[in-house]
Amino acid sequence: MGDLGRIHQLIIPLGNYKMTFNLEVIVMTWIVIAVLITFGYLTVRKKSIFPHSFQVLGELFVSGLYKLTEDALDEKLARKYGPLTCALFMFLIISNWLGLIPHMEEPTKDLNTPLGLGLMGFIIAHSAGIKSKGLKDYLKEYCAPIFFMAPLNIIGELAKVVSISFRLFGNIMGGAIIILVVSHLTYSILLPPFLNAFFGIFVGTIQAFVFTMLTVVYISVQVK
Amino acid sequence: MPVSIEGADIVKAAAFIGAGISMGLGAIGPGVGEGMAAAKACEAIGKNPEQAGLLTRTMLVGQAVSESTGIYSLVVALLLLFVV
Amino acid sequence: MTVDIQFIVNASSYIGSAIAMGFGAIGAAIGVGYTAAMANSAIGEKPDSSGTLFKTMLVGQAVAESAAIFALVVSVLLIFRKVPAVGLHQAAAALGAGISMGFGAIGSGIGSGIPGGQVCLGLARQPAFSGRLIITFLIGSAVSQTPAILAMIVALMLLFIDFSNDLITAAALLGAGISMGFGAIGSGIGSGFPAGEACIGTARQPELAGSITTNMLIGSAVCQTPAIFSMVVALMLMFMKFSHAPLNPTWAALIGAGISTGLAAIGSGIGGGMAAGGSCEGISRQPRSVGQVTTIMLVGQAVAQTPSIFGLLVSFILMFKAFPEATTVSAAMALLGAGISMGFGGIGPGIGNGMAAESAAKWVARNLEKTGDLMRTMLVGQAVSQSTAIYAMVISLVLIFVV
Repeated sequence: MGDLGRIHQLIIPLGNYKMTFNLEVIVMTWIVIAVLITFGYLTVRKKSIFPHSFQVLGELFVSGLYKLTEDALDEKLARKYGPLTCALFMFLIISNWLGLIPHMEEPTKDLNTPLGLGLMGFIIAHSAGIKSKGLKDYLKEYCAPIFFMAPLNIIGELAKVVSISFRLFGNIMGGAIIILVVSHLTYSILLPPFLNAFFGIFVGTIQAFVFTMLTVVYISVQVK
Repeated sequence: MPVSIEGADIVKAAAFIGAGISMGLGAIGPGVGEGMAAAKACEAIGKNPEQAGLLTRTMLVGQAVSESTGIYSLVVALLLLFVV
Repeated sequence: MTVDIQFIVNASSYIGSAIAMGFGAIGAAIGVGYTAAMANSAIGEKPDSSGTLFKTMLVGQAVAESAAIFALVVSVLLIFRKVPAVGLHQAAAALGAGISMGFGAIGSGIGSGIPGGQVCLGLARQPAFSGRLIITFLIGSAVSQTPAILAMIVALMLLFIDFSNDLITAAALLGAGISMGFGAIGSGIGSGFPAGEACIGTARQPELAGSITTNMLIGSAVCQTPAIFSMVVALMLMFMKFSHAPLNPTWAALIGAGISTGLAAIGSGIGGGMAAGGSCEGISRQPRSVGQVTTIMLVGQAVAQTPSIFGLLVSFILMFKAFPEATTVSAAMALLGAGISMGFGGIGPGIGNGMAAESAAKWVARNLEKTGDLMRTMLVGQAVSQSTAIYAMVISLVLIFVV
């Protein structure tokens, strides 16, 4: 129980400012990236008309996610944002499942990861909006219905970043804490595997999907 | 240790409780309202699946508007926490 | 002015007894009334089977009444229990027991009234299947009673276990009562929905009785989760040792922990029940849809569970974080405010998520080819309607960690 919330940090002083790195998150994120690169390499290693098992898996992922993007955006934009959807979903699902392995931790358990991804989605969505509508129309939307609502509209947009990132963080962190506390209380007998299955596989998959879909939806709201 | 009670402390305590009440109660309405929008969107897509894209977008716009009171609560809570 | 501790303990026992009976009667009365109303409308439809319907109504009312009887037991115990008073923790335990039982009975009273009413409507439609219908109804009502039984267990534990005599324990016991009492409301009401829909559905499609009952049991089991979360928090508050912690901010943290899980569980419980009810209706309309409908119900319920998971998260932080000793009221009020924010903030989104899941499950059954589209819309809609719960969690975390 004592290690609840303890993290290893690397702090580099930079003038008056201290740069802080959460080492575990960085290592775990690189593990996820390595898994994804290996998976990507295996899927395209021997491309053939009769696909081998990894190629099937990869095609399944890409075509399914591409179709989801196409439903939310149109065909032209889906071509542009399809790779983003696939990469985001695969990164998140591997991240959320990583905690199932002992001594591994979900990178999404640290608020920095979801917040970074949320900010990325926010910037992509808004730059797509400016590009498709033009700066003037884009700014005009903030003054709807009347101009003095602008601050509230801006807070509303920023709140989307907060909600998308805290949703992922809260679910993964909540699951991890619940598993830790329940394992402690039951001396790790019987319950923890079921909790791991529920929070790790089930909730992890749903939340990865929700995060990806919301990013796509935010883009589609901005461009339409 | 005796708990000291001064005016400034009471004001701060009230602001903290107020922030909790503001955000807590303010979250109830938008939660239910946005759920209604989502429920009706599912119903409409069930009836008319071809319009799924349009219906989803309408649902999101409706939800964004009905969320605005939740955002006002958030703003008031943040004001109570950091400004007052 | 000095007040004898015995007087305080007695006074809070009486207040607790009043809370237990007063609030405990609300739910049962609504449930009993609903059963009677539905029985009347059923008799109006089918006057010739009024004898069976009348008997069924009485059975249904008796089941719904039992929540109030639990409350009566605890209330009478609180009045006549004579113990030598040794500390204020006994007063808190008495209050906590009253809150746990009183609020805990509301949900089950309403929830077990719903199947009682619906079974009368079902019987009017299919008098030939009365045996099957009554079994479904009894199983459903029994499941809806579970939260009230959990609340009674917690109330009796609060009354009859000797806790250590200090003020922090007193706050923890009060928090335990609040957590269990409010946490039982949602699951109690919620598990009434699938039970009621299962009764109507069995009357509509008697040959599907087996799969409808299975689906109802899965749905109501998931919808008990928030009540079980509340019970876990209540037990932790009762049996963990907080005595070494500094009194001033910790008392508020413990009460806040109870409020956070207890109130946030209301929404998730009702929402999970709505999803399960929608899926029972869907299966009875389209027998081939069992697989898809159950899947979408479980996914919808899992998402609707999120506000109560957030509530649990805030409670755990409030219980396990070591707060430094404070001399100000504001330090304590910040922690209480964190509990209030997350607790109330979880109610609405939980119900809203349940509405979305209910309608998705219903319409998947009617439109099986579009399961993917509906699932996606449901998830996006639920995710957006959760955002206010997330704002509430952010405010709670700011109140705990920043101010």
